[in-house]
Amino acid sequence: MHEMSIAQGMIEQIEKIAQDYDAIRVTKVEIETGILRQVIADVMQTAFQAVSEGTLAEGSLLELREVPALAECRKCKMSFEPEIDNFLCPQCHLADVKILQGDEIILKSMECDSKEKKETHEN
Amino acid sequence: MKINVVKRVLNANDLVAQDNRKKFKQAQVLAVNFISSPGSGKTTLLEKTIQKLLPDEKSIALVGDLQTTRDAERLAPGALQATQINTGMSCHLYANQVADALKTLPLAKADYLFIENVGNMVCPGEFDLGENLKVVLLSIPEGDDKVAKYPTIFRAADLVLITKIDLMGALSFDLKRIQDDLAKLNANVPLIQLSSLKGDGMVPWIQWLKAQRRKGIGAQAKFVTEE
Ligand SMILES: Nc1nc2c(ncn2[C@@H]2O[C@H](COP(=O)(O)OP(=O)(O)OP(=O)(O)O)[C@@H](O)[C@H]2O)c(=O)[nH]1
Ligand SMILES: [Mg+2]
Ligand SMILES: [Zn+2]
Repeated sequence: MHEMSIAQGMIEQIEKIAQDYDAIRVTKVEIETGILRQVIADVMQTAFQAVSEGTLAEGSLLELREVPALAECRKCKMSFEPEIDNFLCPQCHLADVKILQGDEIILKSMECDSKEKKETHEN
Repeated sequence: MKINVVKRVLNANDLVAQDNRKKFKQAQVLAVNFISSPGSGKTTLLEKTIQKLLPDEKSIALVGDLQTTRDAERLAPGALQATQINTGMSCHLYANQVADALKTLPLAKADYLFIENVGNMVCPGEFDLGENLKVVLLSIPEGDDKVAKYPTIFRAADLVLITKIDLMGALSFDLKRIQDDLAKLNANVPLIQLSSLKGDGMVPWIQWLKAQRRKGIGAQAKFVTEE
């Protein structure tokens, strides 16, 4: 259940950002999860709910989007989409890659209620 | 108000791991995380390794197990210190358990910190402990299909050790299959075959380790969150 640990780190970052913006409540959080991290969406939702309790993000909506993997061959620099058990470059047939995408979790955006105006609006 | 963030989420564990890695560098210690299924021979290999490195180089052993302090007791004789971390229900070590242990370890006097993770091929790969290298062990009795079954951990390996090769004749084990599967994941990963029992392969293993210590202090294990 590494989702719990990820959610914990996320909440710490979210609270800090919310405080920087003088927000009183976080209503929505948007994240991207790299497929190589093998995050299970349902488990993540449950973990997020659990760790957000008692924080500014309690009761907020978590929107999660899975990002496919992208690898770059260190030899020929070609980029390609690897399989979880196959990182061979289609050109060189060598598995020596830099992961460009798909191994990280990104906090994309947050929607918050601010101190002055309690309504939510896009900017 | 909508705030666009676009920030990498560091899980709480990674932050502590980064801090551990700084401490290892300060102390000029090479930290190695040993990962395998239960019973692949981690403790046996460490017993021999710690002895072989003496008297020139000194080691600390940190052992994660669900229960018992047996492994730490086995490692105590040659180590500067051997500490057991009982993880209870958790199938892997967390960086903060290592951080807690560091408070009582004589890191400054050591050349190596060997961390024996809980026997498990999945979860330990997800949790950076701050190590400089990951060594993944696979023993002959486990079978030659394990690289294909646990690709993520083998992709992250800095070295693959095939252990218990004294049993090679007794069991059918196709080393070629292991090499082919590894080639799809991790082209340049070195592979060493050894038997802690009979001593075969100990020389290249110790050589590899010493070479890593010379060049690997402060290095970051593969695919962990960058500082
Ligand atoms: N034949 C043979 N047996 C070995 C070898 N190395 C270890 N063993 C045996 O394998 C068993 C498990 O070894 P350990 O070193 O305790 O394995 P481990 O990976 O530390 O096990 P856990 O900590 O429980 O995950 C013991 O009975 C060892 O004696 C070897 O090279 N050859
Ligand atoms: Mg052991
Ligand atoms: Zn290529």
